[in-house]
Amino acid sequence: MAKAKMLTGCRAAAEGAKAAEVEVICSYPIRPYTAIMMELAKMVANGELNAEFVHGEGEHAQLSVVLGACAAGARAYTGSSGVGVTYAMEIYSPMAGGRYPVQMTIADRTLDPPGDFGSEHTDAMCTRDNGWLLGWACSPQEVYDNTLISYRVGEDHRVMLPQMVCQDGYFISHIPDKVTLGEQSQVKEFLPPYRPIGPLSLTHPVSHGPQIRPDQGAPMDAMRAEVFLTVPKVIEEATADFNRIFGRNYDPFVEQYKLEDAEIAFFIQGAHANTARAAVDRLRKQGVKAGMARLRWVRPWPTHQLAAALGHVKAVGVVETSTSYGGAMRGGNLIHELRASLYDLDERPLVTSFMGGLGGETIWPADFDNIAKVLTQAVKEKKVRNYVQWLGM
Amino acid sequence: MQAFDYKYQQLDPVKSFKRVPGPEQYVPGHRTCAGCGPALNYRLVAKAAGKDTILIGPTGCMYVANASYLCTPYAVSWIHAQITNAGAVASGIEAAFKVAMRKGRHAGPFPNIIVMAGDGGSVDIGLQAMSGMMYRNHKVLFICYDNESYANTGIQTSPMTPYGAATTFTPPGKEIPEGKTLFPKNAPQLVIGGHPAVKYVATTTIAHPLDLMNKVRKALSQPGPTFLHMLAPCPKGWLFDEKMTREMARLAVETGMWSMYEWENGVYKYTNVPKKYKPVNEYMQHQGRFAHLKPEHIAKMQAFVDEKIKQVQQAIPVAAPVPGAKQ
Repeated sequence: MAKAKMLTGCRAAAEGAKAAEVEVICSYPIRPYTAIMMELAKMVANGELNAEFVHGEGEHAQLSVVLGACAAGARAYTGSSGVGVTYAMEIYSPMAGGRYPVQMTIADRTLDPPGDFGSEHTDAMCTRDNGWLLGWACSPQEVYDNTLISYRVGEDHRVMLPQMVCQDGYFISHIPDKVTLGEQSQVKEFLPPYRPIGPLSLTHPVSHGPQIRPDQGAPMDAMRAEVFLTVPKVIEEATADFNRIFGRNYDPFVEQYKLEDAEIAFFIQGAHANTARAAVDRLRKQGVKAGMARLRWVRPWPTHQLAAALGHVKAVGVVETSTSYGGAMRGGNLIHELRASLYDLDERPLVTSFMGGLGGETIWPADFDNIAKVLTQAVKEKKVRNYVQWLGM
Repeated sequence: MQAFDYKYQQLDPVKSFKRVPGPEQYVPGHRTCAGCGPALNYRLVAKAAGKDTILIGPTGCMYVANASYLCTPYAVSWIHAQITNAGAVASGIEAAFKVAMRKGRHAGPFPNIIVMAGDGGSVDIGLQAMSGMMYRNHKVLFICYDNESYANTGIQTSPMTPYGAATTFTPPGKEIPEGKTLFPKNAPQLVIGGHPAVKYVATTTIAHPLDLMNKVRKALSQPGPTFLHMLAPCPKGWLFDEKMTREMARLAVETGMWSMYEWENGVYKYTNVPKKYKPVNEYMQHQGRFAHLKPEHIAKMQAFVDEKIKQVQQAIPVAAPVPGAKQ
């Protein structure tokens, strides 16, 4: 196996895109994801990657360029951060509805105002209802791996959907960590070339995206919903293949850390899971039966897998790294979907949430100790005092 | 700037109506209004371009009234773009075909990639994407079929709507008697003025079909971005008798409301320049959108057009060919 190198999340994403032999890339600068494009620009300039590198005039254009490229049969790649992600908002829905399996890497950044470089998941979470596959990595290694897994899942003919491969800005995007890149033979075995369905062609004329009547809408929406019922199976297959070929050990949907006998658990996605894992170990040394569930995919949301992983726990603390102002639980979004996932269980855990890492703030080990205290108290009182608590105030 | 070194199509000029290519690429199946200028425009463009073509249709009349699910009127490949992003979608398609040709997946010829955008999709909400495409030297023909308003949404003003026109966003009233008070953008100049990669820009109208088709063919034979501005009168939006669509475009040229020219390597070549321009009112009087105007408003329009004509006359370096009666 190849030797591990110290790579940032940005470099790992670029290496993933290179391994996938992406053919059309569209860039626009915004921190922190920019470094991915800087790496890819070098690879194209040096002739390491046979791709068209298009300088988009904004994120809206980035998404539009890769949509056109994918419609014409190319494997296409783009990315963004923060307000760049939201500037492109119009194009997410046509991309998914048109079933164009492009990939977009997101290195999270807060939305304005105020201007802030820090990481926060609100940018990509805004897009979650537009029909893309969406998930977070928690290390540069997982960024590289998710790049390949996502292309494989998205381009599967049972799926044909665009993918958003997310990593926390700075915590992942700019801190080097050990990454083992795949051998060409491994990548070749895992990821077949992109086989478009009905691309724009001179020999087989097609019409992409015509106007429908209102009564034709519901059946199409239902078809897209049905595709999402198939996606989990494809993710399971792809993850199993990936684990086998590359020698990894991913759970397809939820990383389960010391959950078997846990009484309290952190529920989290992204970079701060690394701190949460350490907190679990420390709490266990103190006699607290803690565990962690880390979400790898937000779309499709692993409803049943979460019910299975967390159903037996007494209290769950959702660590929210994005905002949903005025929502049912008054804080973030993950708690809504987690509570809904657990609702049909005969006995279900108490669930409360913690707003953390907002504005790019670090979630410290002590924060997890506090979360554990609140959860232990809830177990004792058999109820949660609040839907949401704000960390680091 | 990197040269475009892929084998692309060379389309010879069509010498006469008898030699116009037979096959239609824009066929029945659309449901445009009677007398629709843009539909006629589409047909001529597609016919001139031929079968090795990919059309990009941003939202607008020519999307909403054309591209009905399961009965689109395009005999060649076509893709919808948002009204915002036709230039960018076209750029991506062009980039994909470059890679496909480099990798041997597409033997050629390089497709004629044509954007058919309305005025809003070209120089209003679509301006940024169009400009990006022109700047980046993509081999794409961007056509603005100009019906001088946001027509499919119910005739709202666009930056190409003429001064004095009544639209549903510029209704004439006691406080604002003219309706529209602003003068339009100069679409071709937006392209010519700021995009060094652009090879060829020209204007034409649907009343000049041979000229229109030959400008399409000439534009498609360039190794880079090109822009055509086409006047496509709209009976519903301009409120004229639907049998007069072509007549409106002809009158626009005869009154100086519209100028016919080509721009190539920095040189302007004007055609169809009338020996004596008709007064603008001969064009305006047929159109209900101008019916509310008072003589002073028409005089203001005449002054605007007179100024434009002066520029045309200054820009004619040599005697331009005067068109025959049929053109």
